[in-house]
Amino acid sequence: MQEVLNINGISKSYGPIKALQNVSFTVPQGSVFGLLGPNGSGKTTLLSIILDILKADAGSFAWFGHPGSPATRKQIGSLLETPNFYHYLSATDNLKITQAISGRGDNNSIDTALKIVKLYERKNSKFSTYSLGMKQRLAIGAALLGNPDVLLFDEPTNGLDPVGIAEIRELIRELAKQGKTIIMASHLLDEVEKVCTHVAIMKRGTLLTAGPVDEVLANEDIVELGSPDLNALENILQQYQGVTQIKATDHQSLQVFFPIGTASMEAINKHCFEQGVVLNQLTLKKKSLESKFFELTND
Amino acid sequence: MNLLALVKIEWLKIKKYPAFWWMFGIVALTYPGTNMMFYYGYSEGTKGKEVASSVAKMLLGNPFAFPETWHTVAFLSSVFIMIPAILVIMLVTNEYNYKTHRQNIIDGWSRSQFVTSKLFDVLIISLVSTVLYAVVAFGFGAWADYDNIGRWAEQLQYIPLFLLQTFAQLSIAFLLGFLIKKAFIALGIFFFYNLILENIAVAYAKMKLDDIGKFLPFEISDRIIPSPAFMSRFGKDMKAAYEKALDAIPLHIGLTLVLTAAIWAFCYWMHKRRDL
Repeated sequence: MQEVLNINGISKSYGPIKALQNVSFTVPQGSVFGLLGPNGSGKTTLLSIILDILKADAGSFAWFGHPGSPATRKQIGSLLETPNFYHYLSATDNLKITQAISGRGDNNSIDTALKIVKLYERKNSKFSTYSLGMKQRLAIGAALLGNPDVLLFDEPTNGLDPVGIAEIRELIRELAKQGKTIIMASHLLDEVEKVCTHVAIMKRGTLLTAGPVDEVLANEDIVELGSPDLNALENILQQYQGVTQIKATDHQSLQVFFPIGTASMEAINKHCFEQGVVLNQLTLKKKSLESKFFELTND
Repeated sequence: MNLLALVKIEWLKIKKYPAFWWMFGIVALTYPGTNMMFYYGYSEGTKGKEVASSVAKMLLGNPFAFPETWHTVAFLSSVFIMIPAILVIMLVTNEYNYKTHRQNIIDGWSRSQFVTSKLFDVLIISLVSTVLYAVVAFGFGAWADYDNIGRWAEQLQYIPLFLLQTFAQLSIAFLLGFLIKKAFIALGIFFFYNLILENIAVAYAKMKLDDIGKFLPFEISDRIIPSPAFMSRFGKDMKAAYEKALDAIPLHIGLTLVLTAAIWAFCYWMHKRRDL
């Protein structure tokens, strides 16, 4: 698969604070790539560097196999951090500027972009009269202008109401279906899990992990078991082969961890029954992105 | 992207910016208004039939008749550089305030193109001011003494000199906005320095420091357009001072060009390497 973006050893410091330390990963073409991390983990700094807003102290990056340049940026529809528009201009006039600078799209595509983000009716209103959510939608509209193949969204659902969030999620899914590559920074894990094919997780400027969602999440099998006598269940599972960890949940069950691909439901059930413990629950669970995120980012 | 495309994009930003039209309106009123005040003072002082009025008329000539009008109106109008300076500072600090200085780069400009676009803003505003000045100067020339209209093409050098002075001083305003990023602080510093500090420093240097104040940023270009010619008619010393000021114009054109080029070179250099 061809790479849209290749980040290689990027570091950036602000005085003594190391905002990014030797971050490297690649974004494959056609992926929906979620960049995750708590506030202050360096997501926006990294995105700012690959858009030439900030200068890296070390490392390099390449878009479509070429070093970053105005020509490469023109091919990427980007929303970085906040919606940045001329307050005294209307949505249409602001997008005319975006269009003139980027060379993406024509007059019709301005209307098309505004229709997609549901601002067409207000296209002649000044940006300063927009609500926070409308400003955010205009920024997404600007990124969509001219239908670019690569989109970069930094916290795209900021300021949106639940309906707006769902609409943007749908939009991202739709864009992904069209084969677009989408790079998305977010701390809304649920959102990312619903739409992303790949993730990179960052903490305090360091990349903790990156790769396809399934690989990042599924590095172990989690089996959830329940029984009237949880103590007895725990005792018999401690001797069971392959168990790496046992955790009690808050709803009368245990979570038992195995190396990936080694948990057999039948064998576990059989073992418990033979040891005199009858199960009332037995499920193989996929680890949620949220739990993986907390596991990685908690000290 | 060619330069015309940059100008078009800047025009998209400027043409619907209310402050631009306010500036245009205020300059369009101030230039003729100030000159009218002086012209009125001149007419009142010279219209009487008594000897004093006739002497005054003989002594002063008519500073608003062709070709003197080009010089007189340039000098009087150039005092109001702060009006377009407000606009220049607003146009650059707006970009920081709206974070569009980032968005323009994200959308595909190079950092140099961003500075070039701002250079065009300053150039456009300087040209608009110069056109207004030229119209006012021509109007006064035609109105104040129609008999001299045949001499309209003399002393036209004050038009490019006015343009150069305006561009040079607005470039200093731009530099302040570019570095300080906050409109009110940049405007405050501009006004305090331009209206007060430098004038005091220049006056002090004239008395005590062998006129070294002529090398101060605004004074360098202020001396491109010396006081109007009638000022030379108040005695020998004034005449000598006027002629000295005229002789110094080429030097000050050179210094102005160097300073202005240095300001823009610095802005390009700075913008290329800094975080936005």
